Amino acid sequence: MTVSPLLALEGICKSFGSAEVLRDVDLHLRAGEVLALLGANGAGKSTLVKILCGVYPRDEGVVRLEGHKVQLTRPEQAISHGVRFLPQEVSVLPDLSVAENILIADLPLKRTWRGKELDRSVLHEKAVELLERLGCDLDPDQLVRQLSSPHKRLVEIARALAGQARVIVMDEPTAGLTENETQALFAVVDRLKTQGIGVIYISHYLDEVFAISDRIAVLRDGCNAGDFETESASRQEVLAEMLGTAVGELYPPREGAGEGADEVALQVTGLSLAGALDDISFEIHRGEVLGVFGLLGSGIDQVGRAIYGAFGAMPGARIVIGGKDYNPVNPRHGRDRGLGFVAAERQREGIIPDLGVAANITLPFIDRYTRFAAVSKSRETAAAQGWVDRLGIRCSHLGQTLRLLSGGNQQKVCLARWLVDGLEVLILEEPTRGVDLGARRELYLALRQWRAKGLAILLVSSDAEEVAGVCDRAIVLDRGRVSGRFAGGVSPADLLHVPSEKDSA
Amino acid sequence: MSIAALFNRSGAGVVLLLVFYLFVVVLFSVFSPWFLSFDNMMSIGANMAFIGLMCAVQTPLIIAGGLDLSVAAVAGLSGVVVALLHASGVDIFAACLIALALGAAIGLLNGLLAVRLGLNPLIATMGSMSVIGGLALVLTGGLSKPLMEPGFNWIGGGQLLGLPVPLLLMLMVYSALGWLLARTRFGRFVYASGSNPEASRLVGVPVERTLMILYMLSGLSGAASGLILAAMLYAAAPDAAGQHLLTVIAAVVLGGTSLFGGRGTIWGTLLAVLLLGTLNNGLTLMDVSSFWQDVTRGGVLLLAVGLDQVRTRAAGG
Repeated sequence: MTVSPLLALEGICKSFGSAEVLRDVDLHLRAGEVLALLGANGAGKSTLVKILCGVYPRDEGVVRLEGHKVQLTRPEQAISHGVRFLPQEVSVLPDLSVAENILIADLPLKRTWRGKELDRSVLHEKAVELLERLGCDLDPDQLVRQLSSPHKRLVEIARALAGQARVIVMDEPTAGLTENETQALFAVVDRLKTQGIGVIYISHYLDEVFAISDRIAVLRDGCNAGDFETESASRQEVLAEMLGTAVGELYPPREGAGEGADEVALQVTGLSLAGALDDISFEIHRGEVLGVFGLLGSGIDQVGRAIYGAFGAMPGARIVIGGKDYNPVNPRHGRDRGLGFVAAERQREGIIPDLGVAANITLPFIDRYTRFAAVSKSRETAAAQGWVDRLGIRCSHLGQTLRLLSGGNQQKVCLARWLVDGLEVLILEEPTRGVDLGARRELYLALRQWRAKGLAILLVSSDAEEVAGVCDRAIVLDRGRVSGRFAGGVSPADLLHVPSEKDSA
Repeated sequence: MSIAALFNRSGAGVVLLLVFYLFVVVLFSVFSPWFLSFDNMMSIGANMAFIGLMCAVQTPLIIAGGLDLSVAAVAGLSGVVVALLHASGVDIFAACLIALALGAAIGLLNGLLAVRLGLNPLIATMGSMSVIGGLALVLTGGLSKPLMEPGFNWIGGGQLLGLPVPLLLMLMVYSALGWLLARTRFGRFVYASGSNPEASRLVGVPVERTLMILYMLSGLSGAASGLILAAMLYAAAPDAAGQHLLTVIAAVVLGGTSLFGGRGTIWGTLLAVLLLGTLNNGLTLMDVSSFWQDVTRGGVLLLAVGLDQVRTRAAGG
């Protein structure tokens, strides 16, 4: 190659203590290219990116920008070299305007008799120009607090452009976005490409990776595990490189009806919640997985937790669990009536970061391990070890605090909590959001096993592929109402098609 | 194993504190011949007991995500209440019970403000601290009230099996709370509530009830240490305990409890209490002015918290 690439990482090594995280990793990025960085959790993606962005020093290796060696030992150095990292959580200054957010690092000033002051007209002009480069027409004077999260993301990207970014690293930028918003983001990424900016795109969604990237780099166990031109690559080969062994389908094969499938486990009639849910009715049988699919804002954020009791009483609704009436009161009451609930926002609503693996798993049903007020360590350890083995939870020991586990392993812990005898209905919200493919497959397998044992599962998800791949039946929500019902053999396209059909009607 | 890896291991903060404590003990025993005597060690323990008692409950409260700045003011008020009741002819035992009940009631009120009303605990308990401290001054006109009653003074200055009673009381409370935090369901709820209240609520942990109980216990611990202090001093001084509030918070933080909740141990706090008491005692024996003692205590706190921050950074990457 005669022209040096925009960015080249060569022979990067990094260890934390005795744990080797990256071993001799290479990565190349050309100007105007979107490079997808794939890898299971723990493969070293985030460490590599943090080295690139100056958060961690590297042990060995060279970073070149346009052929020149650069030092990247502090984040400010990376930014001054034009390397920008956009973390998964949007980071903006909510009480400043769009324009101020974009140009915060280099606010235009003018001299007046009072001294230097903010030059509002130049600020406005520059912001409009940068937003136009992204093809969007946000009002520069609006407060960022008032923007939707995809628009906040745009502000962040514009801020990177204002700082003369040449390489933009995006970590799971579409998490929590709807299909339309994702497409809008892709349009912005395309514009960045035409302006010669290199984009490193980290995502767990293979669909997205194939839609947006030019090349795919795969990491596995801290090493390069494959470099594909996206056009000529197949999903199977990319997946195989990520997971290391030839894997079959992501979704385990379907089986016959689970135990007790003729009994209704949960019946919901006329469930309504102001501004979110409107007269929702459905039933789930034992040994069945019912999918609830919808886009963001369709009511899928509320339906599961409303039944569980997170919103308190649900006047007007009739809910029957295992033949007995049930009125939601609070989560504790829902739990005691045989409901389990795994929340969508794992960090905020799922894990107890400072408790260990075992204590996290036993928390909801700690009574079962308690005798004379004291928790029996031996019984707790035995139960937790069982789950660690069955679900393949990777932790150094049972007391390891949950904050140190990867997202996929944290999610397995959140699921293991509820898989106890006596559970009637398990409500899952976005169970595999931000979970790597290997862990996803293990989670699906566990759900299959518990379905076979007669557990009723309500799977709420905005991932059409997941609903189609895992559920026996599905309902679709649109603006708080049930807009479609499918019994068996539903395809992702069917699910996505329902709301648009209604729009035209 | 590298130094960083050693520091990284759980409980390293407490180990560091222990090393520092032993260092201080060795230093003082070199400089002062009286320091290492049994009697002196016991007097450190007895003198720190009323502060240690307040720290004992403050630790799980902070771990669970709460904070009680009014605890030392409650101690002042409880001593005053006992002295006034006793002076007006109420049986000393009944007076003590009334003071303890009052402490628990104030704790309950703090809990209602911070938990049910959702006020920031810093502000809520700062407010009640001021109200309670003011009331103690109003009740006494700002003067100390003598409190001589052999049975009562025994809990401050008496001995049992050759050990000071307040020290024994404090150690009993630490053992009970240590067991509660490490072994029981309630202990789990304490750590879970502080580490992630929303996630805890969603798995059915009674977060609010846990905090309410701890606020009540904190008020109770304030009242109890007020009794011990009044028994030690043979008098109830309305402002004798209030000045120790910063020592209470400092000891809890020094002992490795996170002010953000979710992390900490009662044994770290006990060690910090002993360390602060030893510093006080040793510096007095070395004839260092008590003005310098405040400087030293603050310096130790900043040093320990600073070191812990460095350690956390090293562990993070």
